[in-house]
Amino acid sequence: MTAVIKADNLAKTYGDVQAVKGVSLSVEKGALFGLLGPNGSGKTTMIRMLTGQTRPTSGSASVLGIDVTQDPVGIRARVGIIPEQETPPSFLTAMEYLKFVAAVRQIPEIGKKADWWFDFLDFADKKDVLCKDLSRGTRQKLMFTQAFIHEPELALIDEPLINFDPIMQDLVKDYLAKYVKNGRTIFISTHILEVAEEICSEFAILHKGTLLHTGPVADLKARGEHLPAFFLSLVGKGRHV
Amino acid sequence: MFELFIAMVKEEWRVHSTMFGSLSFALFPFLIFGIAFMGSFLIPVVKRTLPVGNLSIIIHAMYLMLGLMVGGFGMLGNEVMNRRFGQASFLAYSARSLPISERTIFANFVVKDTVYYFFLWVFPFAFGYILAAPFLGIPLSSTLFLLLTLTLSFLFGLCGIFFLSTVFSWSKPVFWAFLLLLGVGFGGIMASGLNPAILFPPLMLHEEFSWWNLGLSCIVLAYLFVVSLWLFNPESVGSEKKHPDLFTPVLGRLSFLPNPPLAAKDAVDLHRSGSLIGQTIFSFVVPLGVIWFFLSLMAQFFPPHALLFLYAVTTGVIASTMYTWVTMFDAFGPYACLPVAVSTLIESKLTTFTILQIIPAVFIAAVSILAGEAAYLVPAVVLGLSVSFYAVGIMAWLCGLSPNVLVYDVKVLFEYLLLVGVVITVFSALSFINPWYALGSVILAVPAWLFIRQAKIRWDAVDPQGF
Ligand SMILES: Nc1ncnc2c1ncn2[C@@H]1O[C@H](COP(=O)(O)OP(=O)(O)O)[C@@H](O)[C@H]1O
Ligand SMILES: [Mg+2]
Repeated sequence: MTAVIKADNLAKTYGDVQAVKGVSLSVEKGALFGLLGPNGSGKTTMIRMLTGQTRPTSGSASVLGIDVTQDPVGIRARVGIIPEQETPPSFLTAMEYLKFVAAVRQIPEIGKKADWWFDFLDFADKKDVLCKDLSRGTRQKLMFTQAFIHEPELALIDEPLINFDPIMQDLVKDYLAKYVKNGRTIFISTHILEVAEEICSEFAILHKGTLLHTGPVADLKARGEHLPAFFLSLVGKGRHV
Repeated sequence: MFELFIAMVKEEWRVHSTMFGSLSFALFPFLIFGIAFMGSFLIPVVKRTLPVGNLSIIIHAMYLMLGLMVGGFGMLGNEVMNRRFGQASFLAYSARSLPISERTIFANFVVKDTVYYFFLWVFPFAFGYILAAPFLGIPLSSTLFLLLTLTLSFLFGLCGIFFLSTVFSWSKPVFWAFLLLLGVGFGGIMASGLNPAILFPPLMLHEEFSWWNLGLSCIVLAYLFVVSLWLFNPESVGSEKKHPDLFTPVLGRLSFLPNPPLAAKDAVDLHRSGSLIGQTIFSFVVPLGVIWFFLSLMAQFFPPHALLFLYAVTTGVIASTMYTWVTMFDAFGPYACLPVAVSTLIESKLTTFTILQIIPAVFIAAVSILAGEAAYLVPAVVLGLSVSFYAVGIMAWLCGLSPNVLVYDVKVLFEYLLLVGVVITVFSALSFINPWYALGSVILAVPAWLFIRQAKIRWDAVDPQGF
């Protein structure tokens, strides 16, 4: 097995906030890796460092064999990313945005693929509407589409399900589970633990910037434990849950 | 609604201060204060060459300009927020979920801008002058009076531009008719040999105080403000209007540029947001019109060609701010998930900037002809564009993709003023000596290129900011 993501003692400090405090982890090819943690635990910061959007304060990491500080653009050319908050550009229509993404990524002829996605995520009626006029859920669908439209070998997705209704969550969950079947990898951050338990093959628990646990979901299941309860037992310690 | 107002002021402060720390930002008014304080000591010197009346015209004109610029930004503020932060992130947007009318929100927004920029710009400047007054033997009462008339000038600029921009978005024909009427009025007054500036209410008030004039000024201001509010048409959010694909054809047409998709996106943005026309009118033609007008008042103090070159340099500096037109809407955020480096984005913004330079080129050419100096058209255009490219190089180097926000960083502003100031002084002086020396300004392409190259290296090495 080969590691597509390797982080070694990765840390990030913003001013006097230590967002991530020396995290080491490795993600194998073909894994659906869940990064779990409460709000503010450093999940977004991890994803931003791994995709070269922000520089680690210390430590190192490589993604698809590329060092994150050496060639961040090279990494972003090969992976797909769903950022936590970003919204697509206001004055492009949904379709134009996908064409923009395709042009930047230099994928020729995107029309059919785009149409498939508009159908799949059920927002074909919105494809000529300006992004600024789209609802949150629709924008999330669009951001989801742009991350997968080039079928990257690795996708790093930050809370991708948060604005979706249960039906859409189900659809997307299936998509992700199938996506990794033929050797592609997904690194997903979420705090919806039930989803993580259902689809992830591996998971890590991040709390206040420190990794509390990492391992296969199967091990947990073999012990007859459930992820939500396990999560709370680790993270909820010292808190009144 | 006072809570909303306070919250909006806080928000404005936060946006500005997150960029470079509250302290550095808080120093900004002190810098303005310092400039005014020291500048005041130049008054006796200036008085020897300029009649006092002209000096007060110039200062009032500056404040009118300031009001125009702040207002111009405020007008586009909604668009700025929209493009840059997405709808939900700003109070002007999120307040929509509160039981408050859009008009109230807009009114709060306008008042916030006024108060905020008053304390950022107007007050520190007047205060510097007030503190310098005793040393210059100027009676305190006359300085306080100046504070009043300057504030009025500022408000005239602000309310004027708010009024014009609301009329502009309310009805284009009415807007053009209104401008035409204004132009004819001005032309008429000038043709009759009067200087229209002396009819500017704050200046009239400054010349001779009368309650009648003060009252009238306030009524006109209130009128402009109320009419703007009344005409204000809350844009319908969530309107699901369909737009045909504009991106693909534009992309095809721009394929000769270095980064076609980025350039095409800028073009579509400028077109759809209406900011190309809006910005050209409110951030370029209007300020330059005002400057032209006041420069021409000083015609007797300069040889005729000098005025043209002074104007070309000024146009160049203002043209360099077109870089802010193309960067102000675009945070790096949406690009961060794509294989685009900050340096690539800077490069592409500068490409769009370069295309926009057609506007100042045509403008300077037209002015040379109108001023009867067509013989110097080429050196004037070359000087203007060289200054613009040099200044934009400095801006890109100092501010990367955030010139609008970083300008309030005292250190950045100071470096900009210094680097640009020295160069424009040298080249204005050279062109005064001999108009054809202005052609020598092409040499500025070298530092411009070097600064841009350094800008790319510098801004690739730091984390892109959210603003
Ligand atoms: N750009 C930033 N500047 C300052 N602090 C930040 C920044 N981004 C994140 N943080 C802080 O870092 C910590 C981790 O944040 P984040 O990575 O967003 O966590 P999560 O995604 O798990 O909610 C939080 O305390 C957050 O306030
Ligand atoms: Mg997060």
